[in-house]
Amino acid sequence: MSPTPSPLEVDETGLDPDEVVDADRPWIVLVWNDPINLMSYVSHVFQKLFGYSKAKADRLMLDVHEKGRAVVSNGARENAEMDVFRLHEHGLWATMQRDD
Amino acid sequence: MILRRRRPHAFEHDGDRTAIRLGDDERSMLANLAGQFRAVVADDADPDLRRLYPTAYPDDPEHDADYSGLVHDDLVRTRVAAADTVVATASAVSLDADQLAAWMQVLNGLRLLLGTRLDVSEEDEFDPEADDAPTRALLSWLGFILEEAVVAASADLGDA
Repeated sequence: MSPTPSPLEVDETGLDPDEVVDADRPWIVLVWNDPINLMSYVSHVFQKLFGYSKAKADRLMLDVHEKGRAVVSNGARENAEMDVFRLHEHGLWATMQRDD
Repeated sequence: MILRRRRPHAFEHDGDRTAIRLGDDERSMLANLAGQFRAVVADDADPDLRRLYPTAYPDDPEHDADYSGLVHDDLVRTRVAAADTVVATASAVSLDADQLAAWMQVLNGLRLLLGTRLDVSEEDEFDPEADDAPTRALLSWLGFILEEAVVAASADLGDA
């Protein structure tokens, strides 16, 4: 689970190494199972925030319930952080990390 | 997460508004709870609030401190505003979509607060003799109202 950064080659492009890693490996947003949130509410939040169909939102919700977590979105760090914020605003247990 | 069974509707979606079908006792109970929730959230000191402010970067305390510093006050503000909306609309005939969203945010926030206080798990069985039975009954009742609100709000998403 740990998003351990891999050792970087010496960079001769002058780019910030973090930015290079960002471009190659986007961030993923995870939602974790908890014993309080209602299944219907969690699916509703996925539909509302991400525009997912009810079928897709239900599938993600069941993944969270049965497997303990699910990846609900991915992308650049700022976008992932905004998704995490909106999930937190709705009371869901969301985290983000680099996609390994 | 908890799967709830459907019961008679507490809300009725009608056009772009949602009618509230709760009794006076239930409405005053909700207004009272929303007021208490507002006070606890605004005070921002109760450790049982922790599920409302999860860690964004569990393996990166530095980034997480940045994130938390950026969003914490916003999260407090939106929750206080949502609680104010519930108190102000507890006796209303109907809610618009934003007010319904505020109700859901408060209902869910109250459940996270009470559920954390009760240290609930998915396997819990209700024991009417237990000391915490009244709070557990309250948690369950809030879940019923929230479930109904989800059904009403889903009509707005076009999938009901």
